[in-house]
Amino acid sequence: MSPEIIRLVWLATLDTLSMVAVAALIGTAIGLPLGVFLATSRKGELFAAPAVNGVLGLVVNATRSTPFIILVVAIIPFTRLIAGSSIGTAAAIVPLTVAATPFIARIVEGAIREVDQGLVEAARAMGASPLQIVRKVLIPEALPGVVLGLTLAVVSLIGYSAMVGAVGGGGLGDLGIRYGYQRFMPEVMATVVVVLIVLVQAVQSLGDILARRLNKRLRQS
Amino acid sequence: MNAPVRVALGDPLINPTATREALIRFENVSKRFAARRGQAEVRALEGIDLAIPKGAIVGVIGRSGAGKSTLIRLVNGLERPSGGAVVVDGVDVAALSEKGLRGVRGAIGMIFQHFNLLSSRTVFDNVGLPLEIAGASRDDIRRAVEPLLELVGLSEKRDRYPAELSGGQKQRVGIARALATNPKVLLCDEATSALDPETTSSILQLLKRVNAELGVTILLITHEMPVIKEICDRVAVLEGGRVVEEGDVFDVLTRPRHPTTASFLSSVTGIDLPADVTAALRPEAVAGGQAVVRVTFTGENATTPVISRLTTTLGIDFNILAGRIERIAGRPFGSLVVSLPGEEPGLSAALAALSQLGLGAEVLGHVA
Repeated sequence: MSPEIIRLVWLATLDTLSMVAVAALIGTAIGLPLGVFLATSRKGELFAAPAVNGVLGLVVNATRSTPFIILVVAIIPFTRLIAGSSIGTAAAIVPLTVAATPFIARIVEGAIREVDQGLVEAARAMGASPLQIVRKVLIPEALPGVVLGLTLAVVSLIGYSAMVGAVGGGGLGDLGIRYGYQRFMPEVMATVVVVLIVLVQAVQSLGDILARRLNKRLRQS
Repeated sequence: MNAPVRVALGDPLINPTATREALIRFENVSKRFAARRGQAEVRALEGIDLAIPKGAIVGVIGRSGAGKSTLIRLVNGLERPSGGAVVVDGVDVAALSEKGLRGVRGAIGMIFQHFNLLSSRTVFDNVGLPLEIAGASRDDIRRAVEPLLELVGLSEKRDRYPAELSGGQKQRVGIARALATNPKVLLCDEATSALDPETTSSILQLLKRVNAELGVTILLITHEMPVIKEICDRVAVLEGGRVVEEGDVFDVLTRPRHPTTASFLSSVTGIDLPADVTAALRPEAVAGGQAVVRVTFTGENATTPVISRLTTTLGIDFNILAGRIERIAGRPFGSLVVSLPGEEPGLSAALAALSQLGLGAEVLGHVA
């Protein structure tokens, strides 16, 4: 493999990493509170607002049930509005974020709902306000589950980021399509696949380690 | 351990707690849960009138579904009554807003059957949580938590996580946590039901100590009569959402008036008869046979030689089948199962003589 190709793979890897990182960060920033709200706005919960909950749930489901490649195309006007263009690495971040946010929200919602209701009751008995219950009980107790879920989200994002390559998004997917497929360079395609496998493996291991550190439930003396 | 400061318990007629000022008062409280699809409205509690004297340990006993969980949750507003007032330290908590309740809850600690400790926090941070919620500074938290950990005997476990503790240790953390805000009342929701008998006993002793040393009034709910017997001053028996019997623990346990109370008691003050006697027991008198009678002794009677006195005065020979003497609320209580000639009028005369001596007598059945 020529040094030129290696340089291309390196740059594409950086592109992929930056797209995934930014999308995951923004997705978490919006998805975390959204997930907390989805979990706590159901009937009889801390911030009960069943109607709002229903509408938000619908929006989240609609986004999640749209195949990613269609989502990318469907929101092109929105992408242009935000990124100024619909082509390139920066533009690819927009659909990635739009896909990641509801995914993360559902993961957070699930982890929060797993928290023992007895803990919420105990906190209420201590005189905690709903916000204190979220900050001091729900989020810390759900954290190991949230971290594992975020790991899953990042892995999915790495896959999605390869897909945005197909519509001019840049990154490893783009490299694989243009060089590996269209220019018949199987060694580039193979390299791209290997790099993706390594990335996914690294993210998963990191997430597992972090979640295990945070989880104090399984420790035995 | 310091002995609890209590009024002398010798005279069973003096009720040491009834005259004390009530810290918690239930006034004609009812609680209904709205009807759900396919289910009728549930009346969890009806016409509850109950006073919890300041400084007392009061137990509410009932089977599951009797309404005791709802009852205890009314005190700190986790449940709202459908009618009536729940007055805690002069404040009707039923009339408070959710925000107003938060202020009152600092004065009411609560412990739970499943401990409800935060798995993500160390022992120290769990105990400090109520103070954190109340907005206390780190220094204040440390100053409050350290003596509490000492009180419950877990100082060396302060940096451990709940998953590393035994059930009894977890409940000790729960107790320390409930006491962190220096409450006047401690609510115990089946606090020992998930623990083995030995651990239960040690937790009950700790609660007794908390009551005696810190003057914390304790309201506990349980389905286990031994818990009531071991630490309570007063007891209320709950069935079908109503208080069917209430009073001084010794009185209720030794002279139950309601069948529900009696059924709870069989495990505590009952005696296991030898299997061959139980098998031969018949409800009808048998010609020439014997009557099996349960005689109960209370208070100072428990130590008088009544049986020998009966034998000498009535000339009846008793055959002792089983018996035990125990202490309830610090006072001796004995029960003895005897057999004596079952034919009338001798039996009636013997029973009359027993009750004249102030003893309880109950014919369990007849044997040939």
